Amino acid sequence: MMNRRDFILGSITLTMLGSPLFSARAEQLEKRNLVVILLRGGMDGLTAVPPRDPILASHRPDIMVENTLPLNADFDLNPRLQEFHKCWKEGKASICHATNIPYTMRSHFEGQDVMESGGRTPFALSTGWLGRGIHAANLDGLAISLPMPLLLRGPTSVDNYYPTYLNAPSLDMMQSVHASYPADSLLAQTMGKVISRPVSMMKSTSSRDAHDLARAASRMLAKPDGPRVAVFDIEGFDTHASQGGDEGEHADKLADYDLILSRLKQGMGDAFDNTVIVTLTEFGRKLDQNGGNGTEHGYGTAVLLAGGLVKGGMVHADWPGLQKKHLFEGQDLNATMDARSIYCSAMATCFQVDFEQLKRDVFWNEPLVDLTDQLFV
Amino acid sequence: MVSRANFFRKVGFGLKAGDVIPSDPLGWAKAQVDIAPDMVWDAPIPTDADMQDNYAKFVVTDRKVLREKYKGDRDGYEAAKDKLRYETGEKYYENLELCIRHNTALKSGAPVFERLWMFWCNHFAIIEKDFLPQFSTGPYHREIIRQHMTGQFVDLAKAATTSWAMIHNLDNSESVGPNSEQGRWRKKDGRVATVNENHARELLELHTVSPSAKYTQDDVVALSYIMAGWEHKWSKKREECNPVKFNQKKHQPGTHSVLGIAYKQKGLTSKNKLFDALDDLSENPHTRRFIAFKLCRHFITDEPTDAMIAPIIKAWEDTDGHLPSVHKALIAVIYDHTNKELKFQNPEVWLLQMVNMAEMNWPPQAKDMKYNFKTKPSYLKRRAENIMRELGHNPYRPIQPNGFSDLERDWISPELLIRRLALPQEFSMYMKSQLNVEAIIEKNCSFPDEPLKQMSKMKTQLHRLQYLFPSYWMLKA
Repeated sequence: MMNRRDFILGSITLTMLGSPLFSARAEQLEKRNLVVILLRGGMDGLTAVPPRDPILASHRPDIMVENTLPLNADFDLNPRLQEFHKCWKEGKASICHATNIPYTMRSHFEGQDVMESGGRTPFALSTGWLGRGIHAANLDGLAISLPMPLLLRGPTSVDNYYPTYLNAPSLDMMQSVHASYPADSLLAQTMGKVISRPVSMMKSTSSRDAHDLARAASRMLAKPDGPRVAVFDIEGFDTHASQGGDEGEHADKLADYDLILSRLKQGMGDAFDNTVIVTLTEFGRKLDQNGGNGTEHGYGTAVLLAGGLVKGGMVHADWPGLQKKHLFEGQDLNATMDARSIYCSAMATCFQVDFEQLKRDVFWNEPLVDLTDQLFV
Repeated sequence: MVSRANFFRKVGFGLKAGDVIPSDPLGWAKAQVDIAPDMVWDAPIPTDADMQDNYAKFVVTDRKVLREKYKGDRDGYEAAKDKLRYETGEKYYENLELCIRHNTALKSGAPVFERLWMFWCNHFAIIEKDFLPQFSTGPYHREIIRQHMTGQFVDLAKAATTSWAMIHNLDNSESVGPNSEQGRWRKKDGRVATVNENHARELLELHTVSPSAKYTQDDVVALSYIMAGWEHKWSKKREECNPVKFNQKKHQPGTHSVLGIAYKQKGLTSKNKLFDALDDLSENPHTRRFIAFKLCRHFITDEPTDAMIAPIIKAWEDTDGHLPSVHKALIAVIYDHTNKELKFQNPEVWLLQMVNMAEMNWPPQAKDMKYNFKTKPSYLKRRAENIMRELGHNPYRPIQPNGFSDLERDWISPELLIRRLALPQEFSMYMKSQLNVEAIIEKNCSFPDEPLKQMSKMKTQLHRLQYLFPSYWMLKA
């Protein structure tokens, strides 16, 4: 379960973006929401969405997921993804399997950098694909977290919000401090955001319970003039030890994801139908279990899609198979789809911007596939 | 004469208004790195062994006693667990450690050493996992990192790699060589026996050669084989809280090659293989280059140049990684760049600089931290952790093994900036005397004219505090 302590310390954080408060363009469009849930540490697609293949059990005798929920003739769902399964049955959830970002080197830090930047080379970029997408779509935004995740950094700086009991100084004082920063520096830009804030955001408070924030997020997303992009950040998918089956640590983390999904769905009401909620992780995990009932860093994994804008009830995959000759480096589920195609398509759908434009402005015209018609209504 | 006053913040926590400015700043700084000063605390400091007893008592009582005793009685369980938290100091020791850390940083008389200590604690980072921040990371910083900063890098690397905190942090106890004695009987039982690559991968990527060495997945597996057997044993009485020992029965027998060098057993056990590998990894040119770069990035600029790191690499080569020599070479480079580069100060360092320069009563002292182990620690006793959490920089709680960032952009967001704006007022309650703002600026800023001019507009003590510390002159050094 998410608890308050984890939340405050950043192991689960929430970021919201795209308040159209300052955006003329947003007013002309039907409001659609995009929620990205970061699953840090390497989410195991084979635990979340196990294929019905006896090879899996032969590699993972002690960490097989039991009591799975049926999806179709080829795949089952982890039983801790209850809410996701409900969405699936309502035609509001689907899965892309055997996919990943174009990163194969098995390092968390490189992998997380690349999954957020959207590029191919680790630590080469200072902006994230969502930040660039929001910029390309001419939206402005607000984040709710203490640091600013790379995913959301763009050509223009975005605002963030995270409650504190500390009291900010007077506006006059902040303006004086602002004047000490070199013009155009990141410091000056960031201070500009602080100064232009509405008074209500500057009031000190200590309420930042994860559940409260998830609920608050859903309410804000539901508002016609509220933010249109939110990012959740869940740590702890790196289960080298005691990964377990449906009761293990990996399943607990999936349950964290499921709880966020359930709160969003509940809190958003009808707005859920105008929403895409998509997961993002740095890599999947090896097919073999290790000596400590865990798994090592792998490659291919699954992306979970939920929300009313999703064409539901489908597992999209060019399934490579689990036989040794089909595995990546003989060890991992292969990735047959560049996950950035999914993200670019999700942004095109939610921001109502042409896929080709986003592909060019956000992903340097890399050969991504337009999946908007396949994945979204 | 050109002032190099920024230097005292670049390598330390700045000077107080009444401090005498060292006539030879370079010599002053270099003289601080040869010995590890004692921790400064007016009461006995718990040892790592004491803390492991507390860790053991906490997890064993919780897992084996309370969960059984209060099955089906949620409220009873929670009440009993709170009592256990207090008895074992689970809510207390992290705060105590922060106070000891900060008190020592400000009062050991060797601020340069303390800054380097903070660097190395973050280099061999222990993440916020299980109960490590509550019981283990503070003692690990004091007893493992600090005690090995006056010798060779290789000895620091060996001590950190085989420490209880690191072995637990990176799961090496879970590693079983597939052909080891235990691996073979596990397989006979139909169970899986493989290595856990976590620790080996981070040892290469984060602690020694870095990805620039272009090691492969095979190298990672080979190093995992070499490391298999380094574990903290599990016992019924103390669960995972037993000293780290090498267990030959879990070690993968045979010769394993990492980065082209083969490691084989010498003598009766294979214990030597990890130490031999660490000897070579520490000597690898990629390691010294990576660490020289990281040191410059931490102290001088986000983007160090080859010219900056060259003298540090040379000192490393000349002395086989003698850390005081490496540190002295670094200090000389920092001094040379005093007014050429400005480095954004991370929240913990910035806080300690403010406390030092403004002479604030922080952190809470030994008398304030006396605890009865019966009730929830008071507000003041929980204050240190609370403040560091607010700033987004509790040194015992990095989220990932790569530790906290040294890059300016990772420490700037509107909310992080608000913490810097708000903290001076919050800490004004700890002021002992009037702020001598002119002296502070002259002793700590290489270019004092502009801040002095701005400061003259601030009419009250609170305004001076509120302006000075979040200003450009103090966020950067």
